[in-house]
Amino acid sequence: MTAVPNRLPSQRTAQPFLVELDRFQGPLDLLLHLIRSQDIDIFDIPISTITRQFHEALTDGLDRLELDRAGEFLELAATLVHIKAQLLLPGRSDSEWEDDPRAELVRRLLEYELFQEIARTLGAAELERRRHMSKGFLPPKPPREADGRELATTLDDFLAVLGDIRGPDPVETHLAPIRIVPVEDKIIVIRRLLGENRRVPFHRLFDSWQERQHVVAALLACLELARQQLVRLEQVKRFGAIWLFGRRPGDGGKEIGEGAA
Amino acid sequence: MSPEQIVEAALFASQTPLTARELARADDALDVRRVREALAALREHYDTDGRAFQVYQLGDGFQILTRPEFVPYLERFDSVPRPPTLSRAALETLAIIAYRQPIGRIEVEEIRGVASTSVLRTLQDWELIEVVGRGEGLGRPLLYGTTSRFLDHFALQSLDDLPGPEELSVALARTAPEASHTHAPAPRPEEPGAG
Repeated sequence: MTAVPNRLPSQRTAQPFLVELDRFQGPLDLLLHLIRSQDIDIFDIPISTITRQFHEALTDGLDRLELDRAGEFLELAATLVHIKAQLLLPGRSDSEWEDDPRAELVRRLLEYELFQEIARTLGAAELERRRHMSKGFLPPKPPREADGRELATTLDDFLAVLGDIRGPDPVETHLAPIRIVPVEDKIIVIRRLLGENRRVPFHRLFDSWQERQHVVAALLACLELARQQLVRLEQVKRFGAIWLFGRRPGDGGKEIGEGAA
Repeated sequence: MSPEQIVEAALFASQTPLTARELARADDALDVRRVREALAALREHYDTDGRAFQVYQLGDGFQILTRPEFVPYLERFDSVPRPPTLSRAALETLAIIAYRQPIGRIEVEEIRGVASTSVLRTLQDWELIEVVGRGEGLGRPLLYGTTSRFLDHFALQSLDDLPGPEELSVALARTAPEASHTHAPAPRPEEPGAG
């Protein structure tokens, strides 16, 4: 920001060129505006005046610009100062345009101005083109609702459509079993089976139901009967089959099938 | 069926521009020359009959479009949204690319004096420019050129329709260099389409 000279507010307001930097595409645009709006001969730019005015514009708006954009303006400001310094150097011949420190800047300005003019031409062509519509400019759309016309649909139409409407997919539900398997029932089953067989495999107590509740009830029933010494549980190896044996006469316990139940 | 009617039917049924070559495909008796004759006859008929539309050339394609004076009527409908009009930055960048193509980003920025990455991307998104090659310089920079949609967007028949140096001299003439300054380099757009 050191390139921007500090000026008193009174001096600044005296300047006729208070410009909004946002209005300009960039530093070249601003510089061209300063030159053209004052009818300055672009091949004989009063660098001193223009540089001052350029700085004025920056002082007023630079801090509102993004850093990148501000940098672009500052770069040209530095170029202007550089040109001004070169013009002050002694020994410069006035005759040759190529030797003029301003030549390169003027070349850029003229080139940019040319493309600005082309851009304006294109802009006008664009506007003209937009006044021609192709097919599809008005898209088909459903008629507006509730425009006062009577419904042209019969009840039969309505019902026919209704029949075609697929209802929502049935919700997959999982019904938790509300029936509780009483341990007592399992005890009765065990007693009955052992009345008919010498031994009963444990899984037979719940196989026909395929429900965890029956397994639990069967296990509890077995444990209860074993506690009462009414059955004997045998498992030959770990995770092997469990067998229930009824207490036989002479085993010392009560005989199954005739107990307390 | 006359060639005129066949061409008219094809143009009517199409939503996009058709080239003369494409139109000629409609019938064995048609060729590009006959299609062009038919197009000219159609245009004349539409003018004399006072139709609300006309055959316009966009790039190398032809399309039936409404005449501009019907815009106020058509705008009262819910119309199809069109791309917004281009910003000044976009128009400037397009102008540079149109005349200097193929051209890289750095060269565009040198002329405009401002960063142009985002505007180039926007123009690419709208398919107004495309990558046409890679430069020789460091990093083999992408080179951009205009597309057929660019011609359509500005209702240009070809790049030759862009204003030539003599039409653009107005801006330069205002402050023509004095006699001693005749060596001043005056920028001229390259001949459009020369690349």
